[in-house]
Amino acid sequence: MDDSTNRILQRLIRRIPSQMFQTMLGKWAHLSREDLHSLDFTQPKWVLTEHLLAHCEEKGLTVKHITELEMIYIIENPNQGMWHGFQLLDAEEDAPSIELTQFKEQFKANLTELIRHVSIKIKKHTDEAIWIRVAWGDNFTKPNHLKPTYVVHHLQTPYVFVTGLTSKHKPLLNQALVLATRYGSMKDAHLSGRNLTAIRDLLMRQYQQVFPTKHPKPLQEKNPVPRNPNIEKEQAENTENRLQMACEAFGDGTLPQLQKAVYKLETKFRDNSNKTLTGREEPFRGVVEFASTNLLESLRHCVSSGMASTPVTPLLSSITQKGRNYFVITDKGV
Amino acid sequence: MSLLKPFSKLPGLNTANILLVENEEQFQQKLADTVVLQEKNVNVNVRLARSLPLPMENEESRPRIDLVVFIIHLTSELSFQSAETSLKYLDPGYFQGKVCFLVTSARNVSVPPERLVSVRKLAASLHCPLLCAEDQTTEGVTTAAHRLLAILKVAAGLVPMATGLYLSTLTRCTVPSDIDQQNFE
Repeated sequence: MDDSTNRILQRLIRRIPSQMFQTMLGKWAHLSREDLHSLDFTQPKWVLTEHLLAHCEEKGLTVKHITELEMIYIIENPNQGMWHGFQLLDAEEDAPSIELTQFKEQFKANLTELIRHVSIKIKKHTDEAIWIRVAWGDNFTKPNHLKPTYVVHHLQTPYVFVTGLTSKHKPLLNQALVLATRYGSMKDAHLSGRNLTAIRDLLMRQYQQVFPTKHPKPLQEKNPVPRNPNIEKEQAENTENRLQMACEAFGDGTLPQLQKAVYKLETKFRDNSNKTLTGREEPFRGVVEFASTNLLESLRHCVSSGMASTPVTPLLSSITQKGRNYFVITDKGV
Repeated sequence: MSLLKPFSKLPGLNTANILLVENEEQFQQKLADTVVLQEKNVNVNVRLARSLPLPMENEESRPRIDLVVFIIHLTSELSFQSAETSLKYLDPGYFQGKVCFLVTSARNVSVPPERLVSVRKLAASLHCPLLCAEDQTTEGVTTAAHRLLAILKVAAGLVPMATGLYLSTLTRCTVPSDIDQQNFE
């Protein structure tokens, strides 16, 4: 095992938190049961690192095997780094019938054709998602395993989620994916966040949605609090209406965790009190950013408590309706 | 303009009705629960609203409101503005001892002092009492409920020899003439 491999293993071990360490190693195929039991997990991490390095030397493990461990860790904890959503367009006739082995072969073949030194690992997770790990090199250098790209794709859906991709490699990955999935092109879905499950749920509409009804009845609470007969709300109908509209726009129950919504404005400045800026021909460029630990939850609360006026403005409800969090607003529309 | 009138309905026997108006609809619920539990001798009914005017649909079933309390959170300018606009929908008869202002977060450092000054000026101009409450702890809520109940019982006419007007001349908010020059050093 050479220096760079050692470094990769050390980096990886440092990255995995101590509580998860034992479970991760348990899932790794290259560490047998006896070896796992022989490791004392109460020792500090650097001691365990030494043991593991020695073990890998012994077994003659290479970078390929170590990256398997990294992949296991990332699949179990996908909510780190920045994930971006992409959408595949113009499906060809056989796109819905692509199955796993065909996809794997096609993807590997396409990508290795485009760039000689590249390391690809494909794995199918229990929830029908295909995970691809790509380490990029170029025509002269070996693949860089310290900055891999991870891609998640659900077969038969037109959605792809990517993290860790540089703009240099983006067109290559695009082309390989488009050819392997038998679609015409891939475009940016303008949805990004730290939480993979959240952006996946948002794009694939897997959260609890509320649909407008002709005869609205108030949303049933899960545990109705026994109401004191002496206390009465005067404007209860208004409150229920607001709650209904908030849930229609954003969903009910636990919402996908988005961190940001960015609106890039390219509209003309319009304020009659400011004569210097109004009336100019060029658009007044500005960026409005909403940030929160759980943005959709905050927006829903704003609407249901009356802070934001109802009906919900389409600027905010497009986050869930269109599944994006980056918008460019021009004078003609969104 | 649908004004809320103080004497257009008959009072109930041994009953007092209080209306809590709060833009945020947070503190009023806690206060309502405490008020109803605390008072054993009088039948207290609490009505909760976000702002005035109150909906016409409830006009028939609504009892005579003895005390209107405006809850203003000093941390939000919107809270104050909403209370100010709601004041227009009260019949002037209420301002003779049947209106009370309750502010929260008066001790909060991040609150601009001018806001409390404006609330005090407003309360003083209307001859109404101004109470400060602490809404984060149960003791604070209990104390606020206790004080509101004391004023409510007088306003409902349940305390002999005391009327709301009489009490309000004693408890109304006053603003010292040098309040604008106050600085805390």
